[in-house]
Amino acid sequence: MKDMSAAFIQMRVPVERNQPVARNTYLLRFRAADMARSIKPGQFFMVRLPQGSDPLLGRPFALYDTVLDETGTPVGIDFVYLVVGKMTSRLSQLRPGDELEVWGPLGNGFPDLADVEHVGLVAGGIGQTPFLAYARSLRGQRGYGDAALRKQPARVSIYYGVRSADLLAGVADFQATGAAVHIAAEDGSAGFHGRVTGLLADHERPQHLVGCGPEPMLHALADLARAWKVPCHLSLETPMACGVGICFTCVTPVRTADGWDYRRVCIDGPVFDAACLAWTE
Amino acid sequence: MAELGVTLGRLRLRNPVLAASGTFGYARELAGVVDFSLVGGVIPKTVTCQPRLGNKPPRTVETASGMLNAIGLDNDGLEHFIAHHLPYLRGLPTAIIANIAGKSEAEFFEMGERIGREAGLAALELNLSCPNVSGGVDFAIDPAVTRRVVEGVRKVCPLPLIAKLTPNVTSIVPIAQAAADAGADAVSLVNTFIGLAIDWRKRRPILGNVTGGLSGPAIKPLALRMVWQVARQVRIPVIGIGGIASIDDVMEFLIAGATAVQVGTANFYDPTACTRLASELPAALAQLGASHMSDIIGTLDA
Repeated sequence: MKDMSAAFIQMRVPVERNQPVARNTYLLRFRAADMARSIKPGQFFMVRLPQGSDPLLGRPFALYDTVLDETGTPVGIDFVYLVVGKMTSRLSQLRPGDELEVWGPLGNGFPDLADVEHVGLVAGGIGQTPFLAYARSLRGQRGYGDAALRKQPARVSIYYGVRSADLLAGVADFQATGAAVHIAAEDGSAGFHGRVTGLLADHERPQHLVGCGPEPMLHALADLARAWKVPCHLSLETPMACGVGICFTCVTPVRTADGWDYRRVCIDGPVFDAACLAWTE
Repeated sequence: MAELGVTLGRLRLRNPVLAASGTFGYARELAGVVDFSLVGGVIPKTVTCQPRLGNKPPRTVETASGMLNAIGLDNDGLEHFIAHHLPYLRGLPTAIIANIAGKSEAEFFEMGERIGREAGLAALELNLSCPNVSGGVDFAIDPAVTRRVVEGVRKVCPLPLIAKLTPNVTSIVPIAQAAADAGADAVSLVNTFIGLAIDWRKRRPILGNVTGGLSGPAIKPLALRMVWQVARQVRIPVIGIGGIASIDDVMEFLIAGATAVQVGTANFYDPTACTRLASELPAALAQLGASHMSDIIGTLDA
């Protein structure tokens, strides 16, 4: 079993920016130099409103990107969120100078894929949020945490599916990484008319697939990867209460030597090799 | 500087702030942020005799100022705990109180005997009250059963014993009294209140287990009432649990009669809550002119 004592930081941070980027979708920037220096693509952090007890628990958000100062030092963190409930609607009302309680970085992050020439990133809806930093690191544009800058840029294709075009967020950011960005909308309002896995099936097979999005989409992606015999990693989004491994809320069934067992997505994930997941249990 | 030490039967703690079982993992998850030497003690997640998968997700849901949980005692069993977690835990600079749950009285005795042979434990807490184990027996709804379990473990285990009680009873005092009569060093109360959350559009319960245990600030007044009642009427020390998240909460439980407190749900939304509360205690005591814990415990003027 791996060491679970990886250090994270708990801190009170000021909001620097909180602006709409698509329908019901916002980008929030907070200042947190220590966390920005250590966080890696695919990792997440917990965010809580400091005052009050309703909403009570923190919510997990993935790193969208780190913010650099004029010297290139990481000083802040951006995350992108969709307003879905009590906590996210309260978040959407925050203004610059308001404070958040945050703790992180948490989770394992995306695989390095140093030797892979063509990586396919497959995003469903708000599942796009962890892919900007990952695309930048795969493209050799930015190093994160203690990882060295990738010397040989990978070819990156991003497949991004939404229900309708007004939910598309960050497309220009993804394009700026030099990745090929392919869009699907279920209602036909942008790009490919249909689901993101349909869009992906229309294209050349990448050598490695990485997905994030709603669970039915991840199932379909895992099935496609298996049929194609392409390795696939998935970032799961199970509900969490603590984010740090102490509550055992966010478990998902994972294959073991003698069957399966529940594993905590927050500390054993959120990124798993799709072949290890035992979803049928 | 106030003296923060407290005594619960044969158990001595450097301060009265404990991390509650099931809300602190196996402590190592928090090693990066918690200075264990500042915490009165840590109670790792409940251990059962055999490994348990736990309940089907969703396992928790947030409710108004609280949460419902139905984890279902997901753990890898007693032998794994002893081989894998205990060596780490006993090296921590704080009191470690193991917590066990048996499926039967005999299993409690067997586990108590086994874990009682291990070094490095300050005490043993008996989880007589997990509400989420399907088909399980809630031992602490019947004074006679509570008495038999505590008595039986007492015979085979040399550790100080704490009986953790459920609030889901008509009257908790006779049950705490039974634990006292059977030789428990302390009782901890309360475990969670059984509740239900519903998605009416789907006509479905939200939790995989249907019902779950309510915890968090929402239950604090209910827990305070029970701590106060038991502390007045039962002669062994009470450890108060229920929505403790601030130093005011800690002080309220102590004044109500708790000799120590356990911080539970707050660990989930404030991973350093235990150390913060312990560090804020001297200033709160000073506000009442108190120099020892005994100057404030059970001093409610009611």
